[in-house]
Amino acid sequence: MFYVPLSKNSSANAMDVSKLIQKKVGPDVICKQAVECVSVVEGKRYLRYAAIVEKKDEQSVFVFVANRVPCLQSADLSLEYVIPIDAQLRCHAAAPPKQGNEKGEFRLTLKSSFADIILEMPKNESSTLFLAEVTRARDLQTQSLAFGEVPTFSWLEPFRRQCTQGNPAGSSGIQASSSGSGAPNSSDSHNPFANDSFDPMKHMNLQTTDTKVMATDVGASKTTWFEDDFASMSLKPPELLNASHKSVSSNSLDKILDDGDGYSDSLEKQFGLSPSVEMPVGSKPGTSREKFARQILSDREDEFTNQTTFRVFCGTWNVNGQSPAEALHKWMVVDNDAPDIYAICFQELDLSKEAFIFNDSPKETEWQNAVKAYLHPKASYRKVKSIRLIGVLLIVYIQEKHVPYVKFIDTDSVPTGIMGFLGNKGGVAIRMTLHGSSLCFVNCHLAAHQNETERRVQDHHDILAKTRFKQFDPPLRISEHDVIFWIGDMNFRIDLPNDEVRTCIRQGKLKRLWEQDQLNKLMKSDGDVFKGFEEGIPQFDPTYRFDAGTDVYDSSEKNRIPAWCDRILWQGPDIQLLRYDSHPHLKVSDHKPVSAVFNTKIRVIDQKRYKRVYEDIMKKMDRMENDYLPQIKLDKTEIIFNDVKFIEAQSTVVTIANVGQAPVEFEFINKLDDTSYCRPWLKAIPSQAIISAGACCEVTVEVYVDKSCVAKLNAGEEKMEDILVLHLTGGKDSFITVAGNYLISSFGSSIEALVQLHGPIREVPVADLIEIEKPGSLSRVDIAQDGGRLYMVPKEIWKMVDFLHQHGLDMNLPAGDLSVHSVAEALLLFLECLAQPVIPFEYYAQCLTSSNNLLLSKQTLVLGLINV
Amino acid sequence: MAREYDHLFKLLIIGDSGVGKSSLLLRFADNIFSGSYITTIGVDFKIRTIDVSGERVKLQIWDTAGQERFRTITSTYYRGTHGVLVVYDVCSGESFANVQRWLHEIDQNCDVVNRILVGNKDDDPERKVVLTQDAERFAERMQIQLFETSAKDNKNVEEMFTAITQLVLESKKKVQDEARNAPASTIRVGNKKSSGKSSKCC
Repeated sequence: MFYVPLSKNSSANAMDVSKLIQKKVGPDVICKQAVECVSVVEGKRYLRYAAIVEKKDEQSVFVFVANRVPCLQSADLSLEYVIPIDAQLRCHAAAPPKQGNEKGEFRLTLKSSFADIILEMPKNESSTLFLAEVTRARDLQTQSLAFGEVPTFSWLEPFRRQCTQGNPAGSSGIQASSSGSGAPNSSDSHNPFANDSFDPMKHMNLQTTDTKVMATDVGASKTTWFEDDFASMSLKPPELLNASHKSVSSNSLDKILDDGDGYSDSLEKQFGLSPSVEMPVGSKPGTSREKFARQILSDREDEFTNQTTFRVFCGTWNVNGQSPAEALHKWMVVDNDAPDIYAICFQELDLSKEAFIFNDSPKETEWQNAVKAYLHPKASYRKVKSIRLIGVLLIVYIQEKHVPYVKFIDTDSVPTGIMGFLGNKGGVAIRMTLHGSSLCFVNCHLAAHQNETERRVQDHHDILAKTRFKQFDPPLRISEHDVIFWIGDMNFRIDLPNDEVRTCIRQGKLKRLWEQDQLNKLMKSDGDVFKGFEEGIPQFDPTYRFDAGTDVYDSSEKNRIPAWCDRILWQGPDIQLLRYDSHPHLKVSDHKPVSAVFNTKIRVIDQKRYKRVYEDIMKKMDRMENDYLPQIKLDKTEIIFNDVKFIEAQSTVVTIANVGQAPVEFEFINKLDDTSYCRPWLKAIPSQAIISAGACCEVTVEVYVDKSCVAKLNAGEEKMEDILVLHLTGGKDSFITVAGNYLISSFGSSIEALVQLHGPIREVPVADLIEIEKPGSLSRVDIAQDGGRLYMVPKEIWKMVDFLHQHGLDMNLPAGDLSVHSVAEALLLFLECLAQPVIPFEYYAQCLTSSNNLLLSKQTLVLGLINV
Repeated sequence: MAREYDHLFKLLIIGDSGVGKSSLLLRFADNIFSGSYITTIGVDFKIRTIDVSGERVKLQIWDTAGQERFRTITSTYYRGTHGVLVVYDVCSGESFANVQRWLHEIDQNCDVVNRILVGNKDDDPERKVVLTQDAERFAERMQIQLFETSAKDNKNVEEMFTAITQLVLESKKKVQDEARNAPASTIRVGNKKSSGKSSKCC
């Protein structure tokens, strides 16, 4: 109706926009998806561009204002909102609240502490992708939160500073409204024509004039989104609930009636079915898994539901402000079968000024009691709920035995009377969920007078469009129910002269009248009016207008044309009309009451089958979740290195294949109390990386024994064995065992051990080596007996020092094949590898102090030798 | 239907190498059985959501490498576990004999935890060497519930997992009740048993 037409080639356009936005946000971040959309602020609509911008694993929704249309360069865009997609963000997509959604657009609501915006976008590929991306990103965040990874979104800071809206502290709603003509821009203050030039919508003449629909909308969006508490999130604040009930007296009345009579206590009170106890289906901002499960569950509903027939009685009576003076059973008990549900509708219940102004009606009590008294005697009933808007009263009763299966009762009322908002005309509605079906009863009193058909149609549309059951989030509409009964004084007339109408009635030519019935004609035409509703053909005389207390049609001066004002319509599959009657014996009013009895199929859940289907779905979801866990394959989990030598690296490649469905992040993690993920002689490169689905990563595992770890390996303190723990973020751990045999060399051996060795070190049995490497092994050697076998200096040091002594002092002297430098370097390395230096640590300080005194130095040396 | 789950529990499967720990998990989580034997070299987990006494419990079940050489590393995965399944192979006396060691392992690494004894591969009477009555006697002595299962035939697997979940749930409830019934002033600091329970179990 007031949809802003977007560019025809929207998807092509989105591509360009995507590029522009990428340019705008810079190369550090990625614009993943961009769409053209319409931002709805307080009923006004502005062109926007929304984009999903990603950095690392964090995504954010950026909303841009186009300073110029069409947008040609990145400077034409200015950032309005930056909304991080985190677990806290609530997003909801639904059809926009208006009639005839032929264009097929949907409305995306994004709410977090950073923004509260409504974006409308056409249903096309790019917008679907956009929505999918938002949902996916949000789920990922929720998941990683479950694994204790808290996103930071620190990269958003610079963008947030550019933002015109959506700072967490400020209320975006107020800002938006104060800026009035939309598109606030940072340069606004410098530009006297800002409002004109920055509001493309204005030029395009696209602002909506319809404020009625939006007015409700804005009200509905003021839910408690800012609270963190999940449970309260979907509920309206109490003030709002009260406000919506202001014009009705149902709550207070229940109390009056219930005094001393628990029987008619409304179900809500008796069974704790108040909205806060149980959340309605579809209202919980749960995880996507939960939403998905619900979707499958509803898809498979047939598998666990039986269709059971319920008898529904609907009655309507315009009582013209009278009191119940007659017995109502003639109207309410039409046959022997007790209805399962009663929906009783009154109009013009109270014509007094008090009812109009103070919203207080003693008449209501009278009629409530009368209805209660004349319910079908063969069954016992409980009141589900009643609701009154001035003179329009709707009461719903259900048989006692069905009470446990009634859930989510809610009411709403829509005034459509004087000035379009007073309650002398309008509609009230009660909805409930019975077993697996949703039912909605509407009692309406539409505009009067022969020629006001259009007005009546408008009233009907208004009631249909504005009724919101606010217990639900998003609030539920009438049209979203399985079964709808549309009842009331709809005031439709017969388009024939008075005389002809009266003659036809006398002659019983009802068919002729029916052909000229305004509502009948409307419903037969192809228009949208009363689309989807059905009605039986009345086999009774018009029910309006009689001289009160008689069966005589209006004989007053006004001499109104008789008409079928009081009607009962229905919508929904599997509804069978059994009777459609009027009850002329009831004469207190100028209308006759009308009744209709239906057989309605209700889906009754078979708990056993439901459980089976439910468990099956759970299993499938679990399986999907398991399939989505990171999965990798390793080509080897055991690595053995042969003959590892000092400062000679050996390496092998381990291939990690991502065989899962999502990117995998791996990391080698520390074991137990270790400070590193592996031993010092081991390395894995890279030690962490991300592998996209289906891809592989080659990790080089390398052993390299250098001076830092050689001593321990030589001494047998450490074995060449290690286990690498390959951890997948949010997934399993794999172990890779690494082993090798290290070939011991004199590098890294202690001086104590070396002086005991005569031959090559590798010819000595390992056990012996370990023995002589033990600290103090020298002191256990019997020097007297074995002393001749000990060197004064390890032969390795002696040889190298000797070589340097002979060749190194004169650089020009030929040293054979061996370079002096090589030997010098080897000596240095050898000394470096010693666990204990040539000058032992304990003599270190002493040596230093005596270093500049020959005598002292000699003394120190002798002392040291004696001690050894 | 309001929430994805009411409780989230971590379960751990331990036992000798080759007793069928991974098969039990695969059967329970994905309802799959694969006859081919792949040694678990590492620690894997899967999830499964079940309804126990009307409450929805999401289980995160960790499957560990049974090989001796990984014993030290796998012991680090005991932390935060609510329930442990000690698995042996009814066809292997040795794996049954080692149950004692595994129970000891639990005592070393967890303070208070619910345990259950599982004799897996109970599908071929010919090859069965650990008699049910012997296992029962042992279980009784250790005060641990015994289940004889077969991941291959899907025998008792569901029941066994439900049982351990129930145990965990009960002990959680107990701890919660204790916490509720014991006002702050009456908590006895010296009573190690009760304080340990409330802090570690759930």
